[in-house]
Amino acid sequence: MNILLELKNVTIPTLDQKCVIVNNVSFEVREGSIHAVIGPNGSGKSTLAYTIMGLNSYRISQGKIYFDGIDITNMSLTERAKLGITLAWQEPARIDGLTVFKYITLGIKDKSNLQEKVKEALRTVNLEPERYYNRIIDETLSGGERKRVELAAAIAMRPKLIILDEPDSGLDMIVIEDFLNIFNKIKALNMTILLITHREDIGMVADYGTLLWRGDAILTDEFPIVMVKYCAKAGLKEFCKRALFKNGGKCFDDEYIDRIFREEGLL
Amino acid sequence: MRRNEYPQEILQSLEDYSIDIKDFIPGHGGGAKLLLNFNKIAGVDQVEGIILKGREIPNGIVADIIIKEGTKHEEPVHLCFGVNKETGVQEIFPRIIAEDNTSVKVQAHCSFPKANGLIHKMFGHFYIGKNCNFNYSETHYHGENSGALVAPVGYMYIGENSVFENNFNLTQGTPGKVKIMIDIYAMQNSIIRSNIKAYGKSKKDSIRIRDSVFLEGENARSVIKMKAVARNGGEVLMYGVTEGNAPHCNGHVECSEIVLGKGSICRARPFIRAIDPTSSISHEASLGRFPQKWLDELMAKGLTEDEATEILIEAMLKE
Repeated sequence: MNILLELKNVTIPTLDQKCVIVNNVSFEVREGSIHAVIGPNGSGKSTLAYTIMGLNSYRISQGKIYFDGIDITNMSLTERAKLGITLAWQEPARIDGLTVFKYITLGIKDKSNLQEKVKEALRTVNLEPERYYNRIIDETLSGGERKRVELAAAIAMRPKLIILDEPDSGLDMIVIEDFLNIFNKIKALNMTILLITHREDIGMVADYGTLLWRGDAILTDEFPIVMVKYCAKAGLKEFCKRALFKNGGKCFDDEYIDRIFREEGLL
Repeated sequence: MRRNEYPQEILQSLEDYSIDIKDFIPGHGGGAKLLLNFNKIAGVDQVEGIILKGREIPNGIVADIIIKEGTKHEEPVHLCFGVNKETGVQEIFPRIIAEDNTSVKVQAHCSFPKANGLIHKMFGHFYIGKNCNFNYSETHYHGENSGALVAPVGYMYIGENSVFENNFNLTQGTPGKVKIMIDIYAMQNSIIRSNIKAYGKSKKDSIRIRDSVFLEGENARSVIKMKAVARNGGEVLMYGVTEGNAPHCNGHVECSEIVLGKGSICRARPFIRAIDPTSSISHEASLGRFPQKWLDELMAKGLTEDEATEILIEAMLKE
């Protein structure tokens, strides 16, 4: 698989430049994969996501970001979106007066057959087009519905890379299961996903992962390997042995888990 | 009445609003209608249960609209106050009475496509009885010269258990100088929703709107939503007033104003008062630019900041 996104020694300071949120981080995201960035709250995951997207308030002080072989470090948010990067937000905005239809069409470059394209995007996220077309993206949509519309808008753009920022936040378990299926549908449409999450059950759909710990990228590897390291860093050995890597995920024997925990000085 | 008997510019300006003229001309469509061509009554259509009478006075008309008890109509009552002249004075005195247990929509269209010094005044009195559902929408089209002076005043009494919705839109064309004053008196268990939208597009546009709700009856409830955009030197001032003068009444005033371009000014002055300890009155106001997060979300779809702003203005002022 080709490398779609590459971060090289990226450091992101706070706006006042007094603290470092993400420190000298490097990793690669392969085209067509689901790549999870995991880590506990405050480890810099969302900061990293917004920086890759190019939000004005998130600027790197050092390092380079390459997308599809192009140096995008100094590109604006709009330029990056036009290149094929988009972001589905953790808490998408509620905008009075803007219909679901209009919202989804905003990012579609080819404006022919808009209705069909919107319908297809809504079906991909398991929303009935006829019921949602003319709804307004305000408080009348539930949290789960709004997140699905956000995903539909991202999918309709047909980007090369979708950054999903904590897509599970505020959702119940039944809905999360459905979201995992949607991620696989997106992957089947040849889009790459950068999945920002702190939950192992969400991350289990990922092919690869990067563990972010207090602003440092500790490990990038196949996702289960990264997850064991995450549990070891968090001191969750029993949880790791008991709860992880079931349901078709990659399993590890106790000896492997013990070794990783030993490296962390936890045995 | 045939279409060609009414000034084409006025009808065209209404069609620009996506208003179906076929249902609007007297003799067509199912609803009651009153059309005014400057100070002359151009046509009246009545329907069962709705009495519509107009009387011409030197600078305008007195229009009486009576919705008889128990009348319920899906088709709106259309009022068109058109002026196809640059200057002049048009004064309208509408007196609207909705008797008990009625349900009706009134749509007033004020079209001044050539206004350049034109003065339009309205002094409206509304009496809405008990158990009514009354929806009043007023939409203005002022052409592109910013040449109108518009000064409507409305006093509205809303009876027990009634729902009153007021929608005032001043977003098409250029407004000119606008001074609007609306006083709504809400009786027991009534519900008031008042939505006002205005768009000042140039330094010739100066808009002042005072929308007041007086919650006089127990358990009366109201929401005032005022939205405005001022750009290229335009000026907007919005007063949202709510007084809670009865037990268990509940009112909220919300004001959002966007300022674009040098010299534009937006001001909001919410005034809320509660004199009953069981009442609850609140307000919120935001002025300036759209939240950065909203802009970022749209720009992440490939829009420039200017394009994202236009989309948000369109959404904000959508009728």
